[in-house]
This record gives sequence, structure tokens and C-alpha cells, in this order.
Amino acid sequence: METMTSWPAGDPYLLLSNARELAHRVRREQRATWFPLLLLAALTLASVPVVRYGGHHLDCRAVAGAMSCRVYSDAEFVYWPVALVLAYVAIAAFYLRRSRARGLGTRVRPYAIAGIVIAVALTGAALLELSDPAAGQNLLGLHAAGLPGRLATPEAAIGLALLVLARAERNRPLLLLTIGYLAAILVPVTFAGIPDGIRSAAWYALPAVVPGTMLLLGGVGFALAQRPLRPVAS
Amino acid sequence: MTGHPANELDDTVHQRVRLGILTIAHEARRVEFSYLRDSLELTAGNLSQHLGVLESAGLISVEKGYAGKRARTWVALTKAGEAALAEEITQLKLLISQIERTAISAGRGAQRADGPAADGPALGLQGGASCFP
Repeated sequence: METMTSWPAGDPYLLLSNARELAHRVRREQRATWFPLLLLAALTLASVPVVRYGGHHLDCRAVAGAMSCRVYSDAEFVYWPVALVLAYVAIAAFYLRRSRARGLGTRVRPYAIAGIVIAVALTGAALLELSDPAAGQNLLGLHAAGLPGRLATPEAAIGLALLVLARAERNRPLLLLTIGYLAAILVPVTFAGIPDGIRSAAWYALPAVVPGTMLLLGGVGFALAQRPLRPVAS
Repeated sequence: MTGHPANELDDTVHQRVRLGILTIAHEARRVEFSYLRDSLELTAGNLSQHLGVLESAGLISVEKGYAGKRARTWVALTKAGEAALAEEITQLKLLISQIERTAISAGRGAQRADGPAADGPALGLQGGASCFP
């Protein structure tokens, strides 16, 4: 833990700047941004084999005179809600344990609650959508079209919850990373131009590998930036 | 009441250690006694005195408990403490802006009397001079 080097007497400049310095120091010591990013990166990358080998349904119906089809994965319906809820519980427990060891409270609760609520809402919306024959898009899976469809993916749910963490931690670098991440998520993924031989693999992997890699790199970056400073040996 | 920001300062809060305690407790939600002691470089006795003043004023709540076999004391801000901290910060900012306005107008007056001013900081108190006796 760092300590104050000097204390002012009554100068408002110094009182205010020292209060700011203390506030920033507490925020720095509360943050463990690398942990949720690395955990969520692992979940995202682990979803690739789940999607690939989890079995799929192709459900086509005639809606208003036209055929409307959707593809969804049974395994994804189980994997993402369970994985996200467990991840947010693990993140909250990690933050609490870490900050207690340092003698501080934590700001993780709004993030964990928002993450769980978004995950549950996403699953509910997907189930509702699947039960509605008029709907033509899969809300849970990777194959929905349009902005609402891309927002209603597990990867986007992770990004939306990260916005809450950035706000709670007053963490500007995390906010910038999350905005970049969400921008990447919301860009439509097309498979035109991809050779037939690898199109299937790309269809399964690409939507998860891009956000997973972003989370992984962000997590490594924050782990390096937030690592405790070691005293220089004299 | 003159309206000068210095008159609006609360003596309980407008004190370097107690402002530090309130700031840390505000940011941390809850802070342990040992963290405060180490961060503010105080002795346990000195910190206890300041905590007593803040607790008597109703600005903090102190909770004693155990973490395993270790006794721990946790400090948290009350609503009155949150309000007092916000008020202190507001008054400090007002005071600073008032000092800067005074310094700028004094600088202009000196310029008029002595001609062009020498190069240097526009704000008279940037070197850290105290505005309180």
C-alpha cells in the first residue's frame, strides 16, 4: 500500500489535491479489471466448441406468405445463462475477497447484478422469441440479423455489463475498451468471400473469436497495468 | 454571515486528516482502520481521536467485528457524512475560484501601476502558499 508523503495544513489547493489523490489511490486499489475480462474471454472462447458440437435446430415456418427460418443451438441455451451467472458470482466473490484483504469495500455489486439481470433477460427474450412463430430471428444465437439481433447476443450482454463496471469503477480505460468491443460486436459478420471449405468453421468460430480475443488482450493489458509495484532492491 | 466560502466551511470536516478519512471512506464504501492508519500515516491513537470526532458528529459509523480470529474495525460514511464531504469539496472549490479571481484582479492592478508584468504564473497561490492564517 502506498502512503501519503506529505500533508498540507489548511491550503484549499493542497487539501483538494490530496483528497483527489487519496480518492484515485483507493479506486486503483479497488480495481481488479483483469479478472472479469480474462474470465469472460475464457467463457467466450470456450463457447466455440459448444456452438460447434452442441447440436442445432433449423426451424422454418411460413410467415405472411414467406418462409422464415432460424437456426439455434440447444447447448447455447444452457451454456450461456449458466456460464454467465456463475461467472458474475465468481467475479463478485473475487472482488469481495480481494478488497477485504486490503481493508476496503468494493464497487462490484452493481456490475454483478447488472450482468446477471442482462443474462437472465437475454435468455427470457430468446425463449419468448422461439415460442413466437412470427419472429424470424434467433435472439440467443450468433445468427440474428440487424442491430437488435446483434445486441441480443451473449457477447453483447457481456459488453453492456462491462459498461456498468466501467461506470462503477470510474475506469476510463475500461470504458474505451468496452466501447471498442461493442463496436466490434455490432459490426455485421458476413461470410461472403470465405472459401466453402472453411466457411462452416468460420461461421461457428468467428463471432466468438473476435470478442473473445478482444477481452483476452484487454485482460492481459489490465493485468500488466494493475500489477502491484514491487519494491526496487537496493 | 458574509457569504465568503471560508465562512461556510465546517470545522469538523475542514481538517486535513478528517477530510482524508471521509474521502477514503466515501470512495471505499467501507474501510478498515488499519488501511486508514497506513494511508494517512497516523498512529492508532491519533486516528482513533479523529474517528471519535467524526463519529460524535454523526458523519461516520464505526463497526467492530472479527475476520477469522483477527479483530477488525470498519468505518463507513453516514448520509450526513456524505453530505458534509460534498459540501466541503464544494466550498473548497468556491474558495479556490475566489482566491484565483482575487489574484487575477490584484495582478491587473499591479500591472496598471507598474506597467507590464514579468513572466510567471497567473495565479498567485500556485506555489502552495496557505490562504489561511
